[in-house]
Amino acid sequence: MTYFFLIASGLVALKIILLLFRVLRGPTIFDRMLGTGVIGTGVILLLLLLGFVTGREDMYIDMAMAYAALGFIGYLIVAKYFERKGDIDG
Amino acid sequence: MSSIVAGLLLAGGLFFILVGAIGVLRLPDFYTRLHAAGKCDTLGMLLSLVGLMVYEGPTLNGLKLLLIWGFILLASPTGTHVLSRAAYRVGLKPWMREEG
Repeated sequence: MTYFFLIASGLVALKIILLLFRVLRGPTIFDRMLGTGVIGTGVILLLLLLGFVTGREDMYIDMAMAYAALGFIGYLIVAKYFERKGDIDG
Repeated sequence: MSSIVAGLLLAGGLFFILVGAIGVLRLPDFYTRLHAAGKCDTLGMLLSLVGLMVYEGPTLNGLKLLLIWGFILLASPTGTHVLSRAAYRVGLKPWMREEG
């Protein structure tokens, strides 16, 4: 089962690398924010899987909870900021 | 037995996560990419978390995983909605197929 979690965390890392192309290339600023948000949820899953791989899942589950809460709050605040700013390019 | 069920759920969740990532990469417009990220990726995350919950069992860690599950269920579509409304109010036009 540990090897299965290891392969799964490798696939989630592949997802993060794929989304980096969208962050780098995305023509509007909202594309880049979307890529960053999805990378955030990928990091949550990666933390949980690595917790099960190393056997110390208590610590990593708490870290994933904190990261989920902070990532969500930051996502909303940055979206509000770019709505006020009103500039799409870049 | 519970390991097999957890493995199947995790594999299904990973499939949806990868399909969602390819969708964000290849779809033509911001609003269409938001569909892939908000729906498909969230479903993949929820399935994977249910798989981890089945593997962990009814302990305190399982309860914490249930809390993360509920949080992602509520927060991810809300974030998608806020981003989409922000883009619409700034004036980003959706992609339309050319006529003819």
